[in-house]
Amino acid sequence: MESSSNEHIDYVFKVVLIGDCGVGKSSLLLRYSDDFFQESYLCTIGVDLRIRTISVDDKRVKLQMWDTAGQERFKTLCGHYYRGAEAIIIVFDVTSENSFSNVLRWYEEARQLSRQDTVLVLLGNKSDMADSRAVSTERAQSLAASLNIAYFESSAKLCDNVKETFTATTRKMMEAYQKHHRAHLPDDLTNSKSLHMSQPIKSSTSLNCFDCSIM
Amino acid sequence: MQYQHLKVNFMGRDPSAAIDEWEDPAFEVYHTTDRYGFIHDSNLSKERDDAEKIAKELERTDKWKKMYKNWDKSFDGDHPSKGEKLRARVWKGIPDQWRGEIWKKLLHIEELKATHQDVYEKMLTRALTTSPDIRQIDLDVNRTYRNHIMFRERYGIKQKHLFHVLAAYSMYNTEVGYCQGMSQIAALLLMYMDEEEAFWCLSQLLTNKKHAMHGLFIPGFPKLMRFQSHFELVIKKFMPKIYKFMNANMIPPSLYAIKWFMQCFLDRTPFPLTLRLWDIYMLEGERILIPMAFTVFKVHKKKLLKMQMEQFVNFLQHELEKDFGLEDDAVVLELNAVVLDLRRARVELPPPPSDPLEEVPKTHFGSVTYPTEEELIKRQQSQIHINDEPTVSRTEYLTLLAVSLFTGNSGIGRGLVDTKLGMFPSVVD
Repeated sequence: MESSSNEHIDYVFKVVLIGDCGVGKSSLLLRYSDDFFQESYLCTIGVDLRIRTISVDDKRVKLQMWDTAGQERFKTLCGHYYRGAEAIIIVFDVTSENSFSNVLRWYEEARQLSRQDTVLVLLGNKSDMADSRAVSTERAQSLAASLNIAYFESSAKLCDNVKETFTATTRKMMEAYQKHHRAHLPDDLTNSKSLHMSQPIKSSTSLNCFDCSIM
Repeated sequence: MQYQHLKVNFMGRDPSAAIDEWEDPAFEVYHTTDRYGFIHDSNLSKERDDAEKIAKELERTDKWKKMYKNWDKSFDGDHPSKGEKLRARVWKGIPDQWRGEIWKKLLHIEELKATHQDVYEKMLTRALTTSPDIRQIDLDVNRTYRNHIMFRERYGIKQKHLFHVLAAYSMYNTEVGYCQGMSQIAALLLMYMDEEEAFWCLSQLLTNKKHAMHGLFIPGFPKLMRFQSHFELVIKKFMPKIYKFMNANMIPPSLYAIKWFMQCFLDRTPFPLTLRLWDIYMLEGERILIPMAFTVFKVHKKKLLKMQMEQFVNFLQHELEKDFGLEDDAVVLELNAVVLDLRRARVELPPPPSDPLEEVPKTHFGSVTYPTEEELIKRQQSQIHINDEPTVSRTEYLTLLAVSLFTGNSGIGRGLVDTKLGMFPSVVD
C-alpha cells in the first residue's frame, strides 16, 4: 500500500470489477495495484480489496478497487458491493465468446444496483492472445457504444493498457463527481471537496447497510 | 498411437493439450519446494526453524503410529480419557506423514467406503455426461494451488483427480453442486489422500453433524450469514473497541470472514498454521471457527485499531497469510484459551438456524435429477455456444457434451467444455 496515512487525498473512489469467472479481474487488479502478474491465478471467494493512490490532473486520488467472485451464486453476496461504487468495470475475456455474451447480463445487474451517476466501463482483457481471439475490437466497441459506455482493451499479462484504463476511468469519475455535486450541493460546498485522510469522505458508500441487508 | 496412449497414462493429460511452459513442472528448475509441496521462487528463509520443528514432529510419529494401530480399541467413544489423549495430541499437531490417515479416521472414511462401494465411480461417470458445473469446475481446477507441486502441471494427474472429485460430488449432492471455495478444500484433501477418499472426506465435511459445511455452500449461504452475524455479536460483547472501530470504518464481516468460515482459514493464515487449524477442525468441527476468528482479533487487536479501513482489510486478507506474527504453537494455545472463554460465555457457537431444515440437505444423495428442458436451454445460453445455434435439443446437448468430454475435442463448439484432462485414455484411441 503506497499511501502513507498523512498523505493529502482529494478523492476517494470506489471501483468494482465484475464479469464472468476467469476473465482476469483479479489479475488486472494485481497488475494495477502491485504491478505484478501471477500466472497461477486464484479464484476470488467473496470479495477482495486492492488499493492504489494515483495523481490525475494534479489531484491525488485513492482508488479502492473491489474484486468480486464471478460465480452466479456469489451475486447474492457481491451485489451489495456495487452499491455506492463510483465506477463499475465490466470485464470480459476477448478470447471467450461466452464471457462477451454475458456482458449484457452483467450490465443489467450493474445498472440495477448502482447509482445514476456511477461510471460504467467495458473492458476486454487478454488482448495479448491474438491467436485465440474470439471477439473483435469492433464488435466490443459497437456493444459499448450501444450501451453508451466507454470501451477499453487490455492485457494484464503484458501490462498493456491497464494503467491507461484506470486513469481514464478515474477521470470520468472525477467529472461525474463534479457534475453530480454541482447539481446537488450549494455553491460554497462544491469547492470543499478536498479532504484529508483523517476525515474520510462520506460518500454513499454505506457498507453498513449492505451488511445488514444480507443477514 | 500406443506410445501416445502410454504417454497419456503417464502424464495424466492428453499430449495434444496445449499448456504454457510454466505449467509444466519439468520445464523449469524452481528455487525451492517446501516440505508441504509449495513451490517458492526464492529461498526459504526459516529453514532452521523448520528443521527444529521437523525433528520434534518426528519424535512424535512413533506415538501416532501406535495410536493408529490401536485406533478402534482406544477411541470408540466409550473411553473418554483416551479420547482426551487423542484430543491433546491433535491440538499439538498431527505429524505430516500421518495427517492423511488420521483425517480419514476422524471422518470415518473406511466405513463409508465399505458401505458405499461403486458410488464414487457411478457419480463420476454420471458427472461427465450431465454435471451442469463441469465448465466452472474445469475453470477453477486451473487456478487451485498452482503453486503446489501436485497441481502445477496443467491437466496433470492431481489436477485430473481434483476435477474428478468435484465433478462427482456435484452429482452426489445436487443441492450444493459445485460452489467456488470447494476446490481448495478438495485440493487440500488430495494432498493427503487418493481421489475416492477425498470425495468421501468432502462429503463428510459437508454433511456430517460436526462440520455441516453444506449450509456454507448452498445458494444464499445461510450458514455463512449465521456465523458472520454471530461473530459480530461476539466481537460487540467482548471487544467493544474493535466493534466500534469496525462500525465507524464500515467494515462488515463479509470483508474478512468469508474464507475463514467457508474454508476454515485456507489462504488466510500461513499454510503450516492452516494445517494445524485443519487438524483441530477435523476433530472438533464447526465449533472452532468462531473462536479462531476471535483469536485473530485478540492477537492483533492493538495493530488493527491503528489501521484505516483498507489497511485493516488488506491485513486480514493478505498480510496474515504471509506472516501471522506468532508461532504456530502459540496461536494454538491462544485458540485453546479462547475456546474455553467463549464456551463459558456460551457463545462458542451461533444459535441454530430458525428453520432446522434450512442448512441441511433435503434430497437423497446421488439421486438423479434430470434438468428440465427449460433449465437446459437456460444453461446452454449461459454457458455453452454450439455453433451459435440458439437452441439445441436435450439429447443433442448431452451427446455433444459427452463426446467433447470423452475425446477432449474442442472443435465441436467454441466455449464448449474442453478439459483435456485425459479422463478415459482408452477412449482416446
